[in-house]
Amino acid sequence: MRRIIRRREILEDQLRYAGEPQDPGTVSVQTAAEWITGAGAASGPAALLLTATDEVETLARHLQGVRWIVIEFAKVGEGRGYSQARLLRQRYGYAHELRARGALKRDQLVFLARCGFDAFDLDPAEDLDASLGALDTFTVAYQGGDEALVQLRHRAT
Amino acid sequence: MYRYDQIDQTLVDERVAQFRDQTQRFLSGALTEEEFKLLRLRNGLYIQRFAPMLRISVPYGLLSSRQLRMLAQIARRYDRGYGHFTTRQNIQFNWPKLEQVPDILADLATVEMHAIQTSGNCIRNITSDHLAGVAADELADPRPYCEIIRQWATLHPEFSYLPRKFKIAVTASAGDRAASEVHDVGVRLKAGPHGAIGFEILAGGGLGRTPIIGQVIREYLPQSDLLAYLEAVLRVYNRHGRRDNIHKARIKILVRALGVQEFRRQVEAEFEAARELAPRLLEAEVERMRAFFAPPPYETLADVADAAGNAGLLSGARAPYEAWYRYNTRAHRVPGYRIVFVSLKKHGEAPGDITAAQMDALADLADRHSFGLIRATHDQNLVLADVPQRALPEVWKTLESLELATPNIGTLTDMICCPGLDFCSLANAGAIPIAKQIHARFDDLDYLYDLGPIEIKISGCMNACGHHHIGHIGILGVDKHGKEWYQITIGGSSASPAALGEVIGPSVPKEAVADTIAKLLDVYLEERQDEHERFIDTVRRIGVEPFQERVYETDHSTA
Repeated sequence: MRRIIRRREILEDQLRYAGEPQDPGTVSVQTAAEWITGAGAASGPAALLLTATDEVETLARHLQGVRWIVIEFAKVGEGRGYSQARLLRQRYGYAHELRARGALKRDQLVFLARCGFDAFDLDPAEDLDASLGALDTFTVAYQGGDEALVQLRHRAT
Repeated sequence: MYRYDQIDQTLVDERVAQFRDQTQRFLSGALTEEEFKLLRLRNGLYIQRFAPMLRISVPYGLLSSRQLRMLAQIARRYDRGYGHFTTRQNIQFNWPKLEQVPDILADLATVEMHAIQTSGNCIRNITSDHLAGVAADELADPRPYCEIIRQWATLHPEFSYLPRKFKIAVTASAGDRAASEVHDVGVRLKAGPHGAIGFEILAGGGLGRTPIIGQVIREYLPQSDLLAYLEAVLRVYNRHGRRDNIHKARIKILVRALGVQEFRRQVEAEFEAARELAPRLLEAEVERMRAFFAPPPYETLADVADAAGNAGLLSGARAPYEAWYRYNTRAHRVPGYRIVFVSLKKHGEAPGDITAAQMDALADLADRHSFGLIRATHDQNLVLADVPQRALPEVWKTLESLELATPNIGTLTDMICCPGLDFCSLANAGAIPIAKQIHARFDDLDYLYDLGPIEIKISGCMNACGHHHIGHIGILGVDKHGKEWYQITIGGSSASPAALGEVIGPSVPKEAVADTIAKLLDVYLEERQDEHERFIDTVRRIGVEPFQERVYETDHSTA
């Protein structure tokens, strides 16, 4: 059973990706493209998978009914998802679960969280208990962000 | 200079703890080589040919004497007693032990230093004019803006996994001693309406395999928009820069592929769209930063009549002192003071190398005569920026005894040079041995002085860490069937307007490099209009051909 971190808790994942068996209570994930074109399941709250090359601008017009957005980090060092998350949160007002999934270790959690991700489906080899602590690696930051404690522009006193 | 507050210190301390944990996980096998690589690189730690190499950040090249002493201590305790200043105002240690790197970083943190983002695909050290604050030709001190950008860029959540490295230079002088035209982004202070300080922004410059001169994407940016605009540039790059090919991943390739007009349009659109939530740089914050870089408490002094007058204070040794004064010092904008260059280009030493003993002594000298501050230059020298003229003979004597007074600043032997095959695992050929070969060949100071200002830049591979493209004479090491050969370019320049050198012809074998340079210099001496026409100006006036003809006319050893 796949486990994820969501809002600082370790939980069993209720999302199922293409090819994975469905169980009662699970939600199947469709691609953003399927959702936008209406090719995917239309009933109930939707879970979408966004790849690094999907345009968030296009998705932004179809956020109604979306409860999960999973941004995929296909390779180590992939960085487009950070901008996608920022845009979804800040520009397009997406307020439901935003999950990072893929080639990610605990070391990326601080950056991910500060870009607006609130759920993390890390590399299966990663130790999730240790990863929870990694969210608190830094107690200060220079930039504004969803979890920022200090904003550069507010430092002048 | 900037001093850390509680926030800055906490961040650096927490980064040390994080890196200690990462190193521990690697050593215990929890992280693979590849996984650790991604993490160590963004903390300046490379695994080189023989040992790890640790690059330490020197923001915009400014060091306090206390920091320099710590670097000396690190050199002694963890390395082999020396360090190496780089072409981006940082310092590298070539022999640390991996397991000791967290301790080195902890030591650095005690003097407000770190190695954050000195490598990796992130925003690197912000570089600037090594004469900032003392240059007569600057619009305003660029360093407050450098520090603001440094803080903004440090552990930026959105821009820590870019397609490739990202280098920003800030300059406030028309002469552009920061080489802003060959950076991913160049920020140039500019007076706007009613004299308000703002910026001209360049993008898409860079050296490496595909050297490109940056282009202006914003003629004038108000001060308050600096960070918002940089975020727009970075966001466009982060989203659309290529990630499929490491050699095509720099922003210059994106700018070239889109065309500067389209790139600018995308940045402006992003800038507008993000405006409401983007960081605004308040004047109060700039004011707070400016206070850190306020001029030191200069004495009211008169200019000392001339160098010879000073030399009179010494018993003998007049000529060497005068040569040093002429070549290694520059005018200061405050009467009675002078800027002193500390040459790290002694014959026989790798350009940029400095021993722990030299660092300690230089820190003492800075405390006595230059308000306790030292600067690193892009040319791999150091600067004592605020020396009272009356102290010059003593400063010279001390530097001379430290072997840091070679009177060659701006001359042919003031070469810049990457570590090359001697240390770097990317290199195709040696760079330091070439510098030594040139030094040995051109050791006659009178000849060097007759040649006038001339910049030689040497890279051991096409990654161009030695900036060969922008050398008046550029030397690039290439590997040919397992042998080291060298391609020569002439006519490059980092000063505005920047120019890329032109290849003079087929590469030459290692042993022929100095001879080839000699031929280029012969042509220059024959062709120059008078002794005021610099090598670079002669090249620009007569073109590359006369030089090509001379180098290749009777030489059958080239291939």
